[in-house]
Amino acid sequence: MLSAKARGSARAGACAALLAVLGAPLLLHAQEADLTPPIASYEISCRLDTDKKVVEGTELLTWTNRTSRPTDTLRFHLYLNAFRNTRSTLWRESRGEGRDGPMKESWGAIEILRMTLEDNTDLLPTFSFLSPDDGNPDDRTVAEVRLARPVAPGQTIRVSIDFRSKLPRVSRRTGYKGDFYLVAQWFPKVGVLEENGWNCHQFHASSEFFADFGNYDVSIDVPIRFRGKVGATGKQVEERASAAGDRLIYRFRQHSVHDFAWTVQPEYLVVRDHFHEAGLHDADITLLLQPEHARQAERHLRAAKAALSGYGRVLGPYPYDTLTIVDPPWGARAAGGMEYPTFITAGTSLSAPASVHRPEGVTIHEFGHQYFYGLLASNEFEEPYLDEGFNTYMTDRVLASAYGPNHPVLSVFGWNFALGIDLHYPVDANRRFFPVATRDIHATWSWRYRDRQAYGPLVYSHTALALATLERLLGTNTMDRALRLYADRWRFRHPHLPDFVAAVAETTGRDWSWYFDRTFFSSGSVDYAVDQAESVPSKPTKGLFEKDGKLSEGPPPELASARGWDSVVTVVRRGETALPVEVLLRFAGGKSFRTLWDGQARWTRFTVSRGPKLIEAIVDPDEKILLDANRFNNGRRVDGDPRAAARWTSRAVYWVQNQIDFLTVAW
Amino acid sequence: MSARHSLRCFSRGLALSLSKPYLAVSLWLIQLLLASVLILPISNALHDELDHSVAGSRMVANPDAGWWETIQREHPDLLGKFPDLASGLLTAEGVKSSQLGELRGIGATSVALAMLGVVLHAFALGGIFGTLREPQASLVTFGREGMRRFPPFLAITLAALAAALFAYRWVYLETGIALKNRMQELDTEGRALMIMGVRVLALLLVLAAIKLVADAVRATWVARPDLPPISRLFTGVGGSLSRPLRLFGVLFWYVALTAILYLVWLVADPSAGGEARLALVPLILIQQVFVFMRLLVKVGYYAGVSEALSRDPSPEYSYVPTPSPVPSEPPAAASAPLE
Repeated sequence: MLSAKARGSARAGACAALLAVLGAPLLLHAQEADLTPPIASYEISCRLDTDKKVVEGTELLTWTNRTSRPTDTLRFHLYLNAFRNTRSTLWRESRGEGRDGPMKESWGAIEILRMTLEDNTDLLPTFSFLSPDDGNPDDRTVAEVRLARPVAPGQTIRVSIDFRSKLPRVSRRTGYKGDFYLVAQWFPKVGVLEENGWNCHQFHASSEFFADFGNYDVSIDVPIRFRGKVGATGKQVEERASAAGDRLIYRFRQHSVHDFAWTVQPEYLVVRDHFHEAGLHDADITLLLQPEHARQAERHLRAAKAALSGYGRVLGPYPYDTLTIVDPPWGARAAGGMEYPTFITAGTSLSAPASVHRPEGVTIHEFGHQYFYGLLASNEFEEPYLDEGFNTYMTDRVLASAYGPNHPVLSVFGWNFALGIDLHYPVDANRRFFPVATRDIHATWSWRYRDRQAYGPLVYSHTALALATLERLLGTNTMDRALRLYADRWRFRHPHLPDFVAAVAETTGRDWSWYFDRTFFSSGSVDYAVDQAESVPSKPTKGLFEKDGKLSEGPPPELASARGWDSVVTVVRRGETALPVEVLLRFAGGKSFRTLWDGQARWTRFTVSRGPKLIEAIVDPDEKILLDANRFNNGRRVDGDPRAAARWTSRAVYWVQNQIDFLTVAW
Repeated sequence: MSARHSLRCFSRGLALSLSKPYLAVSLWLIQLLLASVLILPISNALHDELDHSVAGSRMVANPDAGWWETIQREHPDLLGKFPDLASGLLTAEGVKSSQLGELRGIGATSVALAMLGVVLHAFALGGIFGTLREPQASLVTFGREGMRRFPPFLAITLAALAAALFAYRWVYLETGIALKNRMQELDTEGRALMIMGVRVLALLLVLAAIKLVADAVRATWVARPDLPPISRLFTGVGGSLSRPLRLFGVLFWYVALTAILYLVWLVADPSAGGEARLALVPLILIQQVFVFMRLLVKVGYYAGVSEALSRDPSPEYSYVPTPSPVPSEPPAAASAPLE
């Protein structure tokens, strides 16, 4: 299978070479044109010292002030300094916890050795560290230099920087393990200048990134043992040997992105493939896989193509020519599940049952960031849900359509087995939200959530469920049009949540801000339930009635003969958040009654006199409100059905018997 | 050689078990009684949640993961962290005793029941070993022998349990903690899984050894009533040490046959399919028949251990009663004239 792919890739390569010879430069030039005017472009030459675990580099930053105000400062992210010591904001906030256990006491740092302007003005004397978020004087992840002359609006300056980045042992996204290197957040990176000043946050335990777009041209000098085992953002345009012949220099270029990451590992199994689908942009896929996961290559590639297709159809074609997928080795999983422009890290395990969507889920999810983190480039510090949450919503959609339901895993001493229980997207995939539904307001800056247990479920899962609920209220086609409008209009422009709300309003012709107020800006839970559903035979009418102008005992004939059932249904709102819901009453004989309740009051009641017998009452019968914390109380039958409970009781008792036997067998 | 011997012992044990089915019946009744303590709490909770729920009709056949999560979230006092504790037994980190404090309701009760089960198991083993020694035994023998051996057997059982917990901690948990960082530095996940496998195997071997020593002591305790208790203890330990392969073999066949039974159950999965597959009563009957078959195999194992220690091939650890004097033939018959 792989060899067939390789042959296809070779054919594609041959075609590309032929095109180049026959005058394709015009075409290539068109593809490499900037998709957006660059603000921060970088030319970097770096050298990896594998003994010292250090990357030494020279960077030429070309930065344009695209605001309407001059600035006399530049601010830089020095993210690697988060790993400098235990007094950094990252260490303090995380209390030393990494992405997969305690962080290793392997320190990382970035030093600025030289910083000059084009006219050789030395900026280092004005260099200082800032802590704009928490005032932590020991944090060194944001630095500022003062310029002698302000940069006017529209003016471009060039800053030359020499830096040395010491890589930590991987415990959060970046670093090394053995001969594996995932080099990310590794170079001095300018912040984002907005109309009201610099937006340049510190490196936090619960936050990701925000940067301006530009063009990257990066040369990476590595020992020769990494030949052919280098992956990076963008397209490789050159491979040449160093003068001494013991090292290789790889050069990568990518336009219109806002970050650059790269990786090397001699053991990588390199698998190449190509994505082509009518109406979408072609992309070369490079998979850097661990040899022990060789059998999962096809799964990664299929997932990548499903993502390119699924996201592309809704949000517009993926505009870049390459996609590199990295499978981190054992012991470096903390580098997995991350996104960088045109470059993602996935993650899998030796035992990955076919019916469990891993590595598929992580591959699709990380690819999806190419849109929300990559092309839209929302501020992940301040509105993390616009990337992670929107992307989780889209991931669920792509997974559901490409793979169907997921399955839970039973891990037996590290070996995974799939259980035959269906997990449906998106609700079952986002259940972790419900236990923390009321813990914090959704729309919060990433590091200001109450705790990490609240951050993930709220940012990822709540957003996904809120958007999936909105999709069911609007209809999928309308939702897709709103998403497309948002994605097209705000591509490369750093949108905010109100921009999406406006796109929804424009698409539907209605104001939906109330919905976002109650979901994104609320900490309330949603729970509707049918509290009462009763139906009793109507009692015969008795008493005094007017007959011929006089009161006499006994009802008139038309009332005396009336038969039927008296039914009462009470629907309650148990959650704090009110959303409009439908209520369905089903009666004997196939009759039904459906109505929309605005859901504002704590309860509402429906009564039917002398009607057919009520069979059941269901609130939200089409399961549109996926934010409902307990959908199992949404329906109530008048007549109980004990079959399920009886069967599960027998199963439970049976397994208790087995458990007792197991516990007594050993002694 | 040992494999053949152990298979012969286990087969004889199975035959003995089949010839005295009331032993398996007794174990089955004990386990059913213990489990029945939970029937009402489980049944009431399930009927309360499912009978009038529209979701209930969807769950006659198949479980619903969402319902399970919702129940645990909405009713934390029903089980506590019991599911985490159960699944934690299968993880590299294992389960710590402090996790018992996170159990609630049915979850906590099931642990108490397990302890009660251990105590009753001591009684049942006295009955089983005692009954197996008597050719003309009955259910009465089982009860009598069980009560007669109860104090020493309870002590043996609790000692074995303590040894098993000690082994779990020091062979499994502590090695896991000690190796945690080194495991992360290994080159591949395959190697990490291999080390994990070695840890599990080491634990299983130690647990098997504890079990076999305990069972050998029990078998010898019954087989050698002529010895004082301390001598029975050492003779039992000596017996297990002198023929470990044969005993391991018997245990192996027992585990293998039980695993096959479980595999058949999981593949056949008679619980699946709802009413379309099996109605409630046939389902319960099949469940109990399966439990009974497993208990027949279990009794067969204990009989096999007894065989391995006391009868096959030499009875050095066995007390063989001196044959009763046979009444001599009447002289007249003895002196009948030869033809």
